[in-house]
Amino acid sequence: MSIEEQYRTRAKELLSGGAVKMVIGYGKGTTANRRRPLFISSPDEVERLVLDDVCITNLSGYLVSEGLLSDEKRVAVFLRPEGIRAINILAAESQLDADQIVIFGFDVNGNEVQALKGIHVEEFADVIGSIKEAAPEAAEEELFEKIEKMSPQERFSFWQEEFAKCIKCYACRQACPMCYCRRCIVDSNQPQWVNTSSHTLGNFEWNIVRAFHLSGRCVECGNCDRACPVNIPLRLINHRMAEEVLGAFDHFSGMSKTQEPVLASFKKDDSETFIL
Amino acid sequence: MTKILFSDKLDNCVERWKSGGFTIIGPVQRANISTYAAVEHAAELDFGLVLPDRSIKDLFFPQSEPMLRYTIKKESIDTNECLPPAGPRIIFGARPCDASGMSIDDPLFGWDYKDEYWFQRRNESVIITIACTKADDFCMCTSLKMAPDTTKGSDILLRPLAGNKGWQVEELTDRGREAFSAIADILQEGADTLAPLAVVEKKFDLDACVTWLQNPENFESRFWKEISMRCIGCASCTYLCPTCHCFDIQDEGDTYTGIRRKNWDSCSFALFTMHTSGHNPRSTQSARWRQRIMHKFNYFPGKFSVNSCSGCGRCSRQCPVDMGITETLQEISTLSL
Repeated sequence: MSIEEQYRTRAKELLSGGAVKMVIGYGKGTTANRRRPLFISSPDEVERLVLDDVCITNLSGYLVSEGLLSDEKRVAVFLRPEGIRAINILAAESQLDADQIVIFGFDVNGNEVQALKGIHVEEFADVIGSIKEAAPEAAEEELFEKIEKMSPQERFSFWQEEFAKCIKCYACRQACPMCYCRRCIVDSNQPQWVNTSSHTLGNFEWNIVRAFHLSGRCVECGNCDRACPVNIPLRLINHRMAEEVLGAFDHFSGMSKTQEPVLASFKKDDSETFIL
Repeated sequence: MTKILFSDKLDNCVERWKSGGFTIIGPVQRANISTYAAVEHAAELDFGLVLPDRSIKDLFFPQSEPMLRYTIKKESIDTNECLPPAGPRIIFGARPCDASGMSIDDPLFGWDYKDEYWFQRRNESVIITIACTKADDFCMCTSLKMAPDTTKGSDILLRPLAGNKGWQVEELTDRGREAFSAIADILQEGADTLAPLAVVEKKFDLDACVTWLQNPENFESRFWKEISMRCIGCASCTYLCPTCHCFDIQDEGDTYTGIRRKNWDSCSFALFTMHTSGHNPRSTQSARWRQRIMHKFNYFPGKFSVNSCSGCGRCSRQCPVDMGITETLQEISTLSL
């Protein structure tokens, strides 16, 4: 039985028995290589679930939709390792109760979909641990290396050109499971902390705010980068910040549901006498 | 006999128009995105795109536009109005959907007040459209009762000749004729084989959708909630849309001096309809998505007798969660059977 069929069967069992109220997975999309988020509440509809190598979107963000988990019922969700890490962070940041989440874990190697064993987030600790070990050696893309070698002025020009394209549609924010604020700082207008204008300064402000808020929290699922309609390589910023946090604090985001948020915790034996 | 503009003569035209004071704008690839931008030479133009990622709306209604600069003094307030940079422009190589999108928005911007920013740019622009010989999975002009060679909103329509040799010229407006009279000697009289137009599959029955949308009973249909579950509430569909036209006015500056700007805004955002009291009449994403569809295919045509959609398909093409006008109207088509 393929993993797709196994997971359909499991979804049907869980929904029929009332163990979960909903399964969030993937369905067919407009074109052959597109999948769309799918919400199944009836066991009769599980055949609509699809699982293949183009199921890329990290679906964990839907779990913090207003009211979804407030009835304390369980919800099942299809997640790749990055999505599972996101559940740990959301739990650590008190945004959800991890016990309410039933995980249909999978990973994609080349064209092959592999099932990840486990149901609850704790059971995936080994998978996440191995990603942390592999991360420093993981081949980084050419553009990242190129930017690293640039002088500060060249790097500034590079990002200036990229941010000039930003239209402040906030697709990066909306696609991000970590951007769950009910009211984002840029939407606060009493007072207006951040300019709403999408000019060079305003675009810089937004993108820098975003980068800092995700430092030590981003799981590099790539949702923002894929959502960006003007192709700003946001993944490179996130990756740079993740490296920085890993180097400075040995913090790899989403290791467990009790992991302390790196930029919101302080240890007495910290080598610095000052915190920002 | 028709007039023909050969591709290898385009740079001569660009030179001629530039010396006549025109800025030349066309489809280009820059910094990993395709858009319409000013060029110096014809070689910079990219005619191989199905259509650029960004629409020509940006050229008439930019994402952030200065309206006035102000200084508050003890006894008075000084204001300096900012008007768009003046100067004639030629937009060479627009797509029919984009060009028609501009004419769809004309009545809106001229309705209860005349938007000078919009009309100054409209009056100073010659839109030279190239009919489409290629389409992708998301193009949907035919579903909107338009075609890959729709002339609406264009001053000139160019029909591509077979083998990328050039274009057959169809002059549509006086503005177009005037721009082409400046290059009359570069054009050639003749007849040549035209490249076949793109085949754009019809994706939904527009009339059936409109009937369904006009039925007040469907305003509270479960359909809206179901289809909107996956909507993440970003503005990528509205900002890439050639006809979406909503904006917000913001003052930027300190207590005494600043600049008033007209910035794009989107009905996808919760903040769009948020009242000062905190009450939000469109408090859910489904109410916001319903508004967008109703506006385009029910309210806007009710007022201006034209749908607020030109079928470019950018909403669906760029949607991070695979939903847009096409997917929505396809489902409404099935509901209305």
